[in-house]
Amino acid sequence: MARRPTTGSLWSSLLAVGAALAVTVVLLGVGSASWGDALEAFFVQPIANRYYFGNMVSLMGYLLLASLGIVIAFRGGLYNLGGEGQLFVGALVGTLAGLAVPGLPGPLGVVLVLLAASLTGALLASVSGILRRAWGTPELITSYLLSAALIPAAEYLITGPANDPARNLLATRTLPEAYWLPRLLVPSELNLAFPLALVVAVMVYLAMFLSVRGYELRLFGLNEEFAVYAGIDPTTYSVGALGLSGALHGLTGGLMVVGTYHAAISGFSGGIGWNAIAVALVGRLHPLGAILSALVFAYLDAGAKASMLHTEFTFELGTIIQAVILLLVTASFVVRGRRR
Amino acid sequence: MIANALELMVPILIAALGGVLTERAGVLNIGLEGLILVGAFAAVAGANATGSLAAGLLAGAIAGAALATVYSVACIEMRANIFVAGLATNLLAAGLVPYASALTFGTKGVVRLVAEPGFPRVLGLPLMIVVAVALAIVTSVALFRTPFGMRLRATGGNPQALLARALSPDRYRRIAMVLSGALAGFAGAEVSLRLGVYLPNISAGRGWIALVAVFLGMRHPLGAVGAALVFALFESFAGAAQGFTEIPGTLLLGLPYLITLAAMVGYSAIGRRSRIER
Repeated sequence: MARRPTTGSLWSSLLAVGAALAVTVVLLGVGSASWGDALEAFFVQPIANRYYFGNMVSLMGYLLLASLGIVIAFRGGLYNLGGEGQLFVGALVGTLAGLAVPGLPGPLGVVLVLLAASLTGALLASVSGILRRAWGTPELITSYLLSAALIPAAEYLITGPANDPARNLLATRTLPEAYWLPRLLVPSELNLAFPLALVVAVMVYLAMFLSVRGYELRLFGLNEEFAVYAGIDPTTYSVGALGLSGALHGLTGGLMVVGTYHAAISGFSGGIGWNAIAVALVGRLHPLGAILSALVFAYLDAGAKASMLHTEFTFELGTIIQAVILLLVTASFVVRGRRR
Repeated sequence: MIANALELMVPILIAALGGVLTERAGVLNIGLEGLILVGAFAAVAGANATGSLAAGLLAGAIAGAALATVYSVACIEMRANIFVAGLATNLLAAGLVPYASALTFGTKGVVRLVAEPGFPRVLGLPLMIVVAVALAIVTSVALFRTPFGMRLRATGGNPQALLARALSPDRYRRIAMVLSGALAGFAGAEVSLRLGVYLPNISAGRGWIALVAVFLGMRHPLGAVGAALVFALFESFAGAAQGFTEIPGTLLLGLPYLITLAAMVGYSAIGRRSRIER
């Protein structure tokens, strides 16, 4: 049983996605009145028109960015299970920063929101890194608990003190229009965040495989003791890698605000933090693999949403798909010798 | 408040006992949360189908064991990463329960228990408190006084010793995981049958609290009794605080996680770098 994050083989990724599709088809069959309609909605709707297609690609960008955060953490041998909270709280702090300083020129305002969101995410995740360095507290547990403790606090702020009383929505006030990212495929929500996510993916790829820091991070992830013996500073790579991972989650949250929602909304993260883990693993913890994998997940997610609108039953199809994929993605299907 | 705390202790303790078993077998069980959730739902479904609370408890334990079997097959037979598979277990529960609920009860929200909720009292104490403490004693005896327990402990501590005796560590890991699923499912069943209702997210972090109670209880079943009681006292206090302070309810939802985090940090700080895992 592997304890450190492992990539699994390409077959594991393909089989996991295949199994998830099979489960989806069966569940749609059992849960809906017309199997054919539900299947058609699931597979065709996401690419049926500009609106759905654009939204799917937009989601792909957010998933990609968050999954890059997971790639960095897992490659460094660290589990960041707090992505959901880092993204949500980051988005909220970013929004509040933008609302507090509304008069800036557009691009500067966007930078302010994104910076506040990324720093918040980085801070939350680094706490787990620091605790791990100081006392060996498992970051796996602390990152989850910290995130789970702060999400209700963020919800409280959004529904209470920071709520916009003028709108009949559980959301903060809307950011000034100058802070909104330009849309790329009207009427869909696709915006500048998507190309930015692609750029970040390439940057993470270059940094991870062509820089000394990236090499040291991967070495640290493969064998911490050996890395320390080889003179690599463990604090840089445990606190730093988790911080960077949190920063990318925060950035995702910030971009979702300036790109799509223009405010922090209750239930905002919507499972993207968990989905990012599945995306990263299916992409075999490779920044470029994550691009492809994010596309697959965005398609599955859009399909799940579409089939829910078009069938009588509404259920957490997206969650089940994620679960099946996570269950199988690190599994190995090759029989290797005698098992212990 | 003490009586309330004793009641709140029950599910945390029972789930923590499952956590002790897997922890001793070398598996950090982060799937407890999901196992509790399926147990809570299956208990209400089972009790409504049969009209018996005992059948409900059994249904909860079986559902937990079934999900834990899936988890163990992924980890042991297919050699999946235990943490990723543990996450998958939690998500599977969160996804399958609303689906099953929609199919059987026509709702993915609240499912009420038809029978009268609550358990009888024994020796002046609520039955489930007696059951939970008895389970802790049984687990303790099984772990430390039987050959089975010794082998299960060796699985986590020194698997080579088992291999040398031609015993399979995987076998004991599997048993520990399925037993922990049954215990966690039972814990979930206790919650929903006591409240008389299944609510979405009824597990409310109890799986994670139980996981930390395993460490706080020094990985010992009897230690888990004390640790679970401490968490239950905090929970009970937080509940009471809602009555006489201005703290809004939404904010208090995060409190159990915060206390659990503090306990985990405190434990590892006192343990001074004693490696908790890996």
